Amino acid sequence: MSLLEVENLRTHFISRDIDNQIRVAKALNDVSFRLEAGKVLGFVGETGAGKSLTAQSICGLLRPPARIVGGSVLFDGQDLIEMPQEELNALRGDQIAMVVQNPRTSLDPLTRIGDQLVRIHQAHTGGPVTASRGRALDMMQAVGIPDPANRSNAWPHELSGGMAQRVLIAMALMNNPKLLIADEPTTGLDVTVQAQILDLMKGLTERFGMAMIIITHDLGIVAHYSDEIAVMFAGTIVESGPVREVFAKPDHPYTRSLIASTPEKLQIGGGAKLGGQPPDLYNLPSGCPLRTRCTFAEDVCATPPTRKQIGGGHYSVCHFSGALPEGGGPQ
Amino acid sequence: MTSPVLTVENLAKRFPTGRSGVFVNAVNGVDLTIAPGETLGMVGESGSGKSTIGRAVLRLTEPTEGKIIFDGRDITKIPEGQMRPLRRDMQMVFQDPWSALNPRMRIGDLIAEPMKLHLGLSKSERENKTVDLANRVHLRPEFLRRHSSDLSGGQLQRVCIARAIATNPKLIVLDEPTSSLDLSVRAEILDLLNEIREQTHAAMLFISHDLGTVKLISDRIVVLYLGSVVESARTDELFSNPAHPYSQSLLSAHLPADPAAKLERHVLKGEIPSPINLPSGCTFRTRCPVAKDFCEHEVPKPHHIGSAEHQANCLRIPDGGNRIAQTETA
Amino acid sequence: MAETVSNGIEQSTTAEPGFSLKNRLIGIARVSPTMAAGVLIVVAFGFMALFAEFLMPHDPVSAYHDRVLQPPSAEHWFGTDGNGMDVFSRVIYGAKFGFGIAIPAVLLAIVIGVPVGLIAGYRGGFLDEVLMRFFDGLRVFPSIILALAVVAATGQSLLNVVLVLGFLDSPVFARLVRSEVLALRSSVFVESAKAAGNPTWRILFIHLLPNAVQGAMAQTAVRAAWAVRISATLAFLGVGIQAPTPEWGAMIRQGAEFMVTGQWWVALFPGIALILLVFGLNLFGDGLQDLTDPRRRAAK
Repeated sequence: MSLLEVENLRTHFISRDIDNQIRVAKALNDVSFRLEAGKVLGFVGETGAGKSLTAQSICGLLRPPARIVGGSVLFDGQDLIEMPQEELNALRGDQIAMVVQNPRTSLDPLTRIGDQLVRIHQAHTGGPVTASRGRALDMMQAVGIPDPANRSNAWPHELSGGMAQRVLIAMALMNNPKLLIADEPTTGLDVTVQAQILDLMKGLTERFGMAMIIITHDLGIVAHYSDEIAVMFAGTIVESGPVREVFAKPDHPYTRSLIASTPEKLQIGGGAKLGGQPPDLYNLPSGCPLRTRCTFAEDVCATPPTRKQIGGGHYSVCHFSGALPEGGGPQ
Repeated sequence: MTSPVLTVENLAKRFPTGRSGVFVNAVNGVDLTIAPGETLGMVGESGSGKSTIGRAVLRLTEPTEGKIIFDGRDITKIPEGQMRPLRRDMQMVFQDPWSALNPRMRIGDLIAEPMKLHLGLSKSERENKTVDLANRVHLRPEFLRRHSSDLSGGQLQRVCIARAIATNPKLIVLDEPTSSLDLSVRAEILDLLNEIREQTHAAMLFISHDLGTVKLISDRIVVLYLGSVVESARTDELFSNPAHPYSQSLLSAHLPADPAAKLERHVLKGEIPSPINLPSGCTFRTRCPVAKDFCEHEVPKPHHIGSAEHQANCLRIPDGGNRIAQTETA
Repeated sequence: MAETVSNGIEQSTTAEPGFSLKNRLIGIARVSPTMAAGVLIVVAFGFMALFAEFLMPHDPVSAYHDRVLQPPSAEHWFGTDGNGMDVFSRVIYGAKFGFGIAIPAVLLAIVIGVPVGLIAGYRGGFLDEVLMRFFDGLRVFPSIILALAVVAATGQSLLNVVLVLGFLDSPVFARLVRSEVLALRSSVFVESAKAAGNPTWRILFIHLLPNAVQGAMAQTAVRAAWAVRISATLAFLGVGIQAPTPEWGAMIRQGAEFMVTGQWWVALFPGIALILLVFGLNLFGDGLQDLTDPRRRAAK
């Protein structure tokens, strides 16, 4: 059994507009993936593809008008969707921890960082406060915060962006989570600091045996810091598999275009890219959501493609899986 | 040799902090030149002063010290009234296309605005040119009647580019024009900028924090750290032979999107210091893996590396200790 | 929004299929039911003001000397006042004064306040300081006392009441626009307009103004309610509009003396009309703010 098994997860935004019409944005459509303990899974895709929404759906952090309308999320054998809210709250911050973008806005501005770490440990694990304090100092040490005893008295506004992200990671680690979800953990940080944070997180997963989900738009991060990759487009995982395999033999036209768009592969003046507008989630095209942008699209693409296995653990959702010319992108 | 479009001499910008005598030293003595038709990449992390330089060049912020010579004319101190006609020849593209366009104006009017301000065309001439411009940036003419909220980020950035090239400027400053866009859209915009450069021969100052992007479009690159130029070189030379330890670590911090690529990591310690209290001597010494005691006391001067166009400001170049060795990586 | 481009190409549209006024109204009523109620009240009074001549059963200022202070009856629904005038007709006619004072006063306040706020916010510095301190000074005085003093000093006319109310209320609009401009002037699109070579007047009126007035426009209904209330108060105090003009404040003043002697209807009905219109305008204004401020809309 995998640590996390997500099957056919569907999340929609259901709202009424100013004309009193019900509008449904199909933001996640049959998202399925598995994550083994101790592994790192990288989610990539463009803005609005549903990367962060997948994480929020798993953690029960959706707010109206977003609503899970189908599927299951099994974490350690428990169904998180069926779970009562209080139990899920207890699980979150304990066995499942999150690190988000803009670390400074995620810290309580009126509490010293040491106390915030103690607070989250007390809320979930309990025990004597002195034990929590000790653990807080250990975790600050583990994430490379110099002089933890002194720094634990610092206020959030006194921290630099990189330091605040370290505090947030320390906070995520306080209760020894089995799963760490990092949503754009280094966006907004400088490249030289990004390297520090990513090295740190990767090292911690190995040291504590955590599984990790990294959500990012940067293929370079996924290429070097994750074991598996899931490529999202319009609320669907269009391709997934072991990182090396997917980068070496990308199957789905969308994955190919993403890889072709990276600075390393990009040919300036190389002709039309698979660009265009992201599809309107309120009004998705029938069948394959990519077909309006895809140069390989044919009539059959108006029917929904199925998920096909094309290698060990390597899946692609395309009518032409395995049949498209090798290496040829939509360039 | 043709005279440069832009020459910047010893540019400095200090912002007041509200406390008397305390300043943010955003830019500290920067020299630049851009030749006609040349694309100069300017790379640096947050706090390197790159955006401030871009804005000072266009007199959108007043320089504290130094000289800006545009097209042979010293524009450092001329009043805004005299500056305005010059803006025809110097345009800018901003980082965030969502906020760079007046949300109450139609796209067509936004593209036509610089022509209206500078070219004195009739309304119908302007409308025809607006459609031309939309075609040149590959924007469907039907968008001209819409407002910015109806367009995606990539489309909006095309609108900004159309605005910037509408008056055939001699210089376009691009401040992180692709950083807020998705990967595939970024590629399209870079393609477009390259097309524009070939068509118009406008000089470009391309500001970015991402070396990978700058590499694709620039003829020459300057690397900034804490408001000073640490290295400048032709693009291929900077990538093949980075001389300054900061350039070396910046290059190594870049993650290629290829899991098979071997990484040569020089992860720097700590973070960029506060520009309020600059370190003495070489400002990079607090994070530099090859810093020596003398780096604290002496301000580095530019050293030529090989060709005349390749300069680096490192005190360890004379003794050959400017290379970060593998053993010194974190 | 289906629209035809000037060159004749029909535009294919993605926007709202099946737009209908009915659905839009239901939608607005759902987002802000208070606004719907306010709109109903204000529209009803507006109808009264526009078509007063057709709705009034009697001439509002002709005195029936034989029917002084009659209680409500089939002939005189709201009774008659001390001069023997029909209170019902006078209440209806009074709506004309309500709108006739409030609308021009608010327009005047906008015409003065918006440009001042725009320039003060954009220029900042000394000019901003002087203008805003002057406006602060205006607001230190209770507006009713200031209005009383000014109207009493400048002469008792309807025009003076409008001018004084418009002037006194202009700081509200100036402050709103100024705070918007302060936030917008450092925004990227303003810098982009400057970089493109826009002169200052274009930055102010083409770029900043349309983006800065939304908050001020949402306030118009609430300020109109204020103008109705203050103008009625002035008339009640006997300044500006005099009896027997059928203005609600003046009518209440006239009726107040009859309250003690038991003829309650003279003051009560114009009082109810005044309360209803002020209430309706406030509800409407509140709803406008709900609709224009996404944060307030989200909280609903």
